[in-house]
Amino acid sequence: MGLNIVLLFKYVPNTNTVNVDPNTGTLVREGVPSVVNPHDLDAAEFALELREKYGGKITAMIMAPPNAMKGIEFLLGMGVDDGMLLTDRAYGGADTLATSYVLAEAIKTLEHYDLIITGQETLDSSTAHIGAQVASWLKIPYVYYVTEASLDNGSLIVKRQLESLIESYKIRLPALVTVLMHSHYPRPVTLENKLKAVIKKPVKVLTNNDLKLNILCTGLRGSPTVVAKTEFISKIPRKKEIIQGKSPQESAAWLVSKLNEEGILN
Amino acid sequence: MSTAGQCPEWIPVNINEHKNVWVYIEIEKGHIHEASLQLLGKAREVANKVNSELVAVMIGSGLGSLINEPGMYGADQVIYVEDPRLETYYSLTYGEALAQLAMKYKPEAFLVAGTMRGRELAPYIANNLRTGITADLTMIEVDEKTREIILVRPPFGAWQLAHIRTLKRRPVMGSVRPNVFPLPAKDENRKAKIVQEKVEELREPGLELLERTEIKGSEEMPIEKAEILVSGGRGIGSRDGFEMLKKLAQLMGGTYAGSRKAVDMGWIQHERQVGQTGKTVRPNLYIAVAISGAAQHVFGIREAKRVVAINNDPNAPIFESADYGIVGDYKQVVPELIKLIDEKKNGKK
Repeated sequence: MGLNIVLLFKYVPNTNTVNVDPNTGTLVREGVPSVVNPHDLDAAEFALELREKYGGKITAMIMAPPNAMKGIEFLLGMGVDDGMLLTDRAYGGADTLATSYVLAEAIKTLEHYDLIITGQETLDSSTAHIGAQVASWLKIPYVYYVTEASLDNGSLIVKRQLESLIESYKIRLPALVTVLMHSHYPRPVTLENKLKAVIKKPVKVLTNNDLKLNILCTGLRGSPTVVAKTEFISKIPRKKEIIQGKSPQESAAWLVSKLNEEGILN
Repeated sequence: MSTAGQCPEWIPVNINEHKNVWVYIEIEKGHIHEASLQLLGKAREVANKVNSELVAVMIGSGLGSLINEPGMYGADQVIYVEDPRLETYYSLTYGEALAQLAMKYKPEAFLVAGTMRGRELAPYIANNLRTGITADLTMIEVDEKTREIILVRPPFGAWQLAHIRTLKRRPVMGSVRPNVFPLPAKDENRKAKIVQEKVEELREPGLELLERTEIKGSEEMPIEKAEILVSGGRGIGSRDGFEMLKKLAQLMGGTYAGSRKAVDMGWIQHERQVGQTGKTVRPNLYIAVAISGAAQHVFGIREAKRVVAINNDPNAPIFESADYGIVGDYKQVVPELIKLIDEKKNGKK
């Protein structure tokens, strides 16, 4: 008994520390540290709460360059049981389809899984694609934006939230859910969990020697989409009339008269 | 790069066989979702440029006269499936049904409004078709020489736009943020060709809807409907600080919103977040209060007619994206604004 959970996550540049060069409008990426995608931390918390309630284990899985091992270690510190890092040059440059393919194939190698959990979207590209794509490869039911879950006779009962609706579903397992962002507050990493991980060494690293996927179906070659070019976003021309060093009264009066002139306040 | 998208395990695609621009029409509470209609407007332009038809695709049960509406907003053709198995929206069954239709008709592009359901559904369809998908696109371009449809989205950082091509697979798929494109004019007399379709095999959804309830307490005006938005950021400092913004907004007949920081701090709900990871808004007036103006935030107010910034840091980037800016402490400036506007509305005291 218990739930075998796979937690899919991404290791992303921490946009909270990224600055934009005010002259060129480009991102200053140098020295930007990576973190576990914050929305995946919400998902990790969701998974840990399920495990506490029903038992079982959680495997954190990522397809990424080797430095993502730090992300797995962070999740182990939160209390995740083990990890799987899928890393190979042949997986590089993948779009979401090629990424989800490798993840799905790796999930198939697991002895048993009941539930795949991931965050609503990523901080860096926020596509929210991977969940549905993995579900499509594995042909399993899936629900996005889940806030609560419980087990009922081997099925999962979930609540999810849309723009103006709350829905509850009964889902046949195995299934995939994504967790509504901000619906859970991730617990801190503990020293005890970190030590446990150091002793158990529970992380597997799989390359394409292990997965043996056709490399025409992975990475850049397995990606239907390519970024053809990037360009600076054109700035919307704005008036940039700024008032500075005046009293709040004067400033407010100035603004109200400007807005009046334009007929915006009528 | 030329080998991209040619996995031998996928059903081969002959790009030249793919024609027409498809838009999935989302139905919500018996109506067509406005975001789908907005998308018809943009897709009409694209269809004209590639010289093909604009097809609206609708599936469900009890569609009734809704099938006539896409024509009034520019569709040339409506393909619909009326099927009791599609009475309830389930990601998996809807995804399977729409992928089956696309496999049969071979559209060159398939666009889906990026509502929460749309974002859940579109990648499933794309994956079943083994084609690529681009999320949150903000522009659709057509290469004049090749007539290829290229989707444009803001990637990480929001100042740069990525032009995304789908080289060897079709359809070109994308989800489009609500409110990025305006609602096209409705022509009651315009009619589309109506085609009824069937889906044969449909996998069990593996899901059962137990309950659906409206979220209560959202009597507050949704931010995407407001003509005037007063929006707060990290500098507001507390949940209480938003009370002042709400008061100002109310007085002006608008509502309040906020930045990602304000949501992360728990001061406002995510549904009131403006920006790349929140919503795109198109108000007449956007007042950014104590918002520094990160690229991701400014991205969400590109369509605002006028932007006002109030910030005590004269170097805050938000002033670069503002029509009118006040350098000052919002706690002093906003009460003055409230006073002045109140006097204007309710007569001088």
